[in-house]
Amino acid sequence: MGSTRASPRGVRYFLSEGAQAFRRNGLMSLAAVTTTVVTLLALGAALIVASTLEYIARQLESQVQAVVYVKDGLSGAAVDAVRARLASLPGVTGVVYVSKGEALDRLRKTLGSDVYMRDVLARNPLPASFVVDADRPDRLDGIAAAARRLPGVETATYGGSTAVRLLALTRMVRLGGAAVGAALALVALVIIASTIRLTVFARRAEIEVMRLVGATAWFIRWPFVIEGAITGACGAAVAFAAVAGLYALVVHGARDSLPFLPLPGPEQVALSLSWKLMAWGIVIGVVGSLLAVRRYLRA
Amino acid sequence: MEPRRSRNVTARAAVPPGVPGAVPEDGETAARARGDGAAGRAGVAVEPLPPGVPEPAPEVAAIEFDRVSKTYPNGVVAVRDVSLSIAPGEFVFIVGPTGTGKSTLMKMIYREELPTSGRVLVDGRDVTRLPARHVPFLRRRVGVVFQDFKLLPRRTARENVAFALEVTGVPSREVPRRVADVLEVVGLAGRADALPGEMSAGEQQRVSIARALVHRPPLLLADEPTGNLDPDTSWEIMQLLSQINLRATTVVVTTHDKMVVDVLRRRVIALDAGAVVRDQRRGRYGG
Ligand SMILES: Nc1ncnc2c1ncn2[C@@H]1O[C@H](COP(=O)(O)OP(=O)(O)OP(=O)(O)O)[C@@H](O)[C@H]1O
Ligand SMILES: [Mg+2]
Repeated sequence: MGSTRASPRGVRYFLSEGAQAFRRNGLMSLAAVTTTVVTLLALGAALIVASTLEYIARQLESQVQAVVYVKDGLSGAAVDAVRARLASLPGVTGVVYVSKGEALDRLRKTLGSDVYMRDVLARNPLPASFVVDADRPDRLDGIAAAARRLPGVETATYGGSTAVRLLALTRMVRLGGAAVGAALALVALVIIASTIRLTVFARRAEIEVMRLVGATAWFIRWPFVIEGAITGACGAAVAFAAVAGLYALVVHGARDSLPFLPLPGPEQVALSLSWKLMAWGIVIGVVGSLLAVRRYLRA
Repeated sequence: MEPRRSRNVTARAAVPPGVPGAVPEDGETAARARGDGAAGRAGVAVEPLPPGVPEPAPEVAAIEFDRVSKTYPNGVVAVRDVSLSIAPGEFVFIVGPTGTGKSTLMKMIYREELPTSGRVLVDGRDVTRLPARHVPFLRRRVGVVFQDFKLLPRRTARENVAFALEVTGVPSREVPRRVADVLEVVGLAGRADALPGEMSAGEQQRVSIARALVHRPPLLLADEPTGNLDPDTSWEIMQLLSQINLRATTVVVTTHDKMVVDVLRRRVIALDAGAVVRDQRRGRYGG
């Protein structure tokens, strides 16, 4: 090894020392990568679930429609009266009536099923409704509230009210993900630091000489920082492949069975996930390596 | 700083090393360690210089200890209230029984240890107040040599010396020339490609001296450099250190080697229980 060693200068030396150490530590490096993978899997899953929920919520939020369900068995005159009252509410730009029959047809279409619901169900369970268009999303809350007070109206909903609940759930998923991620990151940190400490120990004579002849602390640290970064990056790559692959499968499956669910595309998710996981992996690896050399570099 | 140093060394070179009796041996002074920092600072010229040697102009000491004490965290008091001053170009032996703080004194010069109280000045700068990020630059100006050589076993003599330049960012085109020069100085030009395991202890110590010198430091510290060597090799290494001293380098050597100290008759600072008990211009190992 002695003569094939890169001469200790510059980026190439740091990279080759770092990579050599990573390979030399074999099983320990594998363990370090594995814990990083587990950490980043949890982090990645939480990120994806949260961002998907948020995406759905934002989609719903941006809809400028409210749905006003009318009571069953309302007379034609009563339906017309409701329509007139709805049309006169502030911010309403359009009112479209969807009869019970039309509602069933729509459901059948979105489910893409050939099954004739009328044959399956003894009676149509779907209520008739008005689809009310508004000029702005923030009008919908007032429109829905006013509609609920009208005679003959069962209830009224709009995307935004669901969005608020979804956003609350998103926050919880984020918090939970951050907590689990932080706990796992701590474990990964300790294992990475222990692995790199092996390298530090193997090179302690060299470190001692470097300190004595006046190498700067950063010069001494770089190879270890790079070993840590390699560990973190490997972990990130594996975790990314697993999480992104899993999500692509889920989206693929959902397109068949839940086609009306607005899911963000797998490419889009992969893009934002890749740099986030890579960044976290490298941060964990670098911090772990700094912990490992700290004791040997105190002045 | 450099011109001043070389002038001083020219003056010193007039007194060849290792020539006992060239100067009358009346220069002993009482120990002036305890409690009197001012005397320590002023007392560089302990005895009159021989006729024909110009009195050196007052200048910044190469090393100055100003009422330095060191207590290790475990409670051991290694150094007690030491004040002393070493002029540029001096050659100084530090002697004393084992465990009296010689190594601790050395470590405080290159900032491996910090004193508990007092100041340590190297080239007039208080190294105890040096920010950690400046310590590497201090160490490029202070070469250090140890009893156990601290050579890297998988690197050749040449590579071990080059290592000191490479890890401190010296441009690669300068490295081979400087390494070859310094190996020449220590008399190892012919052994440049040997690994430490293929060299005698004396040769290994020469490599470690070459490594300490390759930054051309104005100051060389050697902590028991002959502790692992037989008497003949010890003598050769001490001769080498004397020659290096003639090349404008202040040299401080701790040693238990009575014979060498008594023959070379250089300045001797004796420690006991962490305190300076004797400081002689042309001293001997024992009182
Ligand atoms: N890092 C340390 N922590 C605690 N005590 C120490 C440390 N280094 C040295 N000592 C103690 O300080 C005292 C002085 O030690 P030092 O190594 O300076 O002595 P020395 O004169 O160099 O001895 P020797 O001639 O054996 O090399 C000793 O009692 C030693 O045990
Ligand atoms: Mg010692």
